[in-house]
Amino acid sequence: MATRFLTADDVRRAGAGEIVVAEGTLVTPQALEAARELGIEIRGGAGPYREPAPDRGPDATRAARSLPHLPEPSEDPLAGTGVVVTAVGRNRRGILAEITTTLNANGAGVQNVSQRVVEGYFHLILVVELDPGAPFEGLKTALECLGGPDDYAVRVMHERVFRYMHRI
Amino acid sequence: MGFTDQEILETVRMFELETLDIRTITLGISLYDCADPDLERTCEKVYTKVVHHARELVAVARSITADFGIPIVNKRIAVSPISMVAAACGEEDLTPLAQALDAAAGEVGVDFIGGFSAYLYKGFTHADRAVLESIPSALSSTRSVCSSIALASTRAGINMDAVVRFAEIVLETARRTSADGGLGCAKLVCFCNAVEDNPFVAGAHIGVGEPETVLNVGVSGPGVVRSALQRLGPEADLLAVAETVKRTAFKITRMGELVGREAARRLGTSFGIVDVSLAPTPAAGDSVSDILELIGAERTGAPGTTAALALLTDAVKKGGAMASSSVGGLSGAFIPVSEDSGMIAAVRDGALSLAKLEAMTSVCSVGLDMIAVPGDTPASTIAGIIADEMAVGMVNQKTTAVRIIPVPGKGPGETVEWGGLLGTAIVQDPGPFGCRVLFERGGRIPAPLSGQRN
Repeated sequence: MATRFLTADDVRRAGAGEIVVAEGTLVTPQALEAARELGIEIRGGAGPYREPAPDRGPDATRAARSLPHLPEPSEDPLAGTGVVVTAVGRNRRGILAEITTTLNANGAGVQNVSQRVVEGYFHLILVVELDPGAPFEGLKTALECLGGPDDYAVRVMHERVFRYMHRI
Repeated sequence: MGFTDQEILETVRMFELETLDIRTITLGISLYDCADPDLERTCEKVYTKVVHHARELVAVARSITADFGIPIVNKRIAVSPISMVAAACGEEDLTPLAQALDAAAGEVGVDFIGGFSAYLYKGFTHADRAVLESIPSALSSTRSVCSSIALASTRAGINMDAVVRFAEIVLETARRTSADGGLGCAKLVCFCNAVEDNPFVAGAHIGVGEPETVLNVGVSGPGVVRSALQRLGPEADLLAVAETVKRTAFKITRMGELVGREAARRLGTSFGIVDVSLAPTPAAGDSVSDILELIGAERTGAPGTTAALALLTDAVKKGGAMASSSVGGLSGAFIPVSEDSGMIAAVRDGALSLAKLEAMTSVCSVGLDMIAVPGDTPASTIAGIIADEMAVGMVNQKTTAVRIIPVPGKGPGETVEWGGLLGTAIVQDPGPFGCRVLFERGGRIPAPLSGQRN
């Protein structure tokens, strides 16, 4: 349905008392201001007016039903999230331990490790699975805080980035 | 699903070293239901509706960056052409509408809002004229509003009356923003065959065939293509070059598809298109010009440049089309002069002239983009430059655009700094000859026979 508005003009025309707006009506900030000045109460159907959730139009509902471009590896919403962790830097003892300890503390388990040291520098790739419900952002922040400018740098990315980029 | 080390390192390298990012996620919002006989009420409704729909946009973009590790550079809003929204109110000065859009953009924290627009390719409505005449005041009194005017199309021809007036409007906008080097004109563009789902500014707006709200995405990625071609080396033949570009464009577009679908899902709106244009930035290495030079032109603008650009644009489209069923917008390669460090260098070295740029626009999207000319260039010359570009688009059934900035107080060869994504420009010489008679004739250049395809 086309958006219905309640404008400052409408409020001033109503004069006094209360205004009951139909469901889905957008009350402009100017109308709210005018109502405050005139002591008019704006009400929705049941109680005081609340801004409705955005109605994104007829196409939005259809879009929600469209198939994902690439099927997800698991339909199970409770399955864990795949995460790829890469680290590069000057080699020293204990780096892998630091990273895996952080992984464990943030609810992630290692699925695959690949590490190489060339001329004192190391490349590390870890494919990990994050427990269902464990926040990706928390893991990412914790890992990216490891290392330092003269030490090593960690990058954390969602598995879906790699799947979209490398799989047809 | 397993990935090889090579695949993982390739992706990480693209983000870390080759400046791969999503240039923009642009939320399109239809404003037709904000039309009102009173301008003030129209402004109120426009502000309210834009804020209502876009309030979550910046947070959604941030959450996607946090969840996937993909940088999103700009968050933008595109709205219905304002001439259609303002038609009911009958006002001559529509600056308050631009200010309402600007205030809404500020409230939700987006970088730009596009759609202070009108379609004039065949003639003017009263509201179209009001939009055109309000541009200098609208763009000089707002921060984030962008304006686009459709002056020509393959079906309708070129509305020279509109071109002539538009040229004068460009000069007036530059004059009013002279303190910033005419920067108002960087937010003003004209089109032949304007696309109605363009997520890139200054041309972003959503046309009449678009849904209530829609999420469009523009990817970037010249740095990635450049690195891939560097690794390929100069010995490989042109088929190998095209194949490399195609494969790289596929990967870049997939990132756009992922971000677009996810953003649309999180906002609860429909996903529109991925614009697969290679969009350069002034950052070192993020340059379309560098790619043309890697393909084989000694300097951008040298003989061979147009051919290299044709190959690049086509390969980008082919890779993009394989990666997404929703390729749209402008989708090609952008050659905005001031925004591309390689292009600026080519102009400085005398390799890239306005004439060569015009030739290049016949094989790429979009057109003469971010061109600086002297501030005292006559309106007739600017109209001539625009008309030429519109003709290229009209006859070739493609989108072309002109974003030209007459820099007040500057002459040919002088430099102007705009900063940020807009970069640095060297004022180019449009030459000593003009087209006053063409300018004064006015009227319309009729549609070419190729436009009559029924």
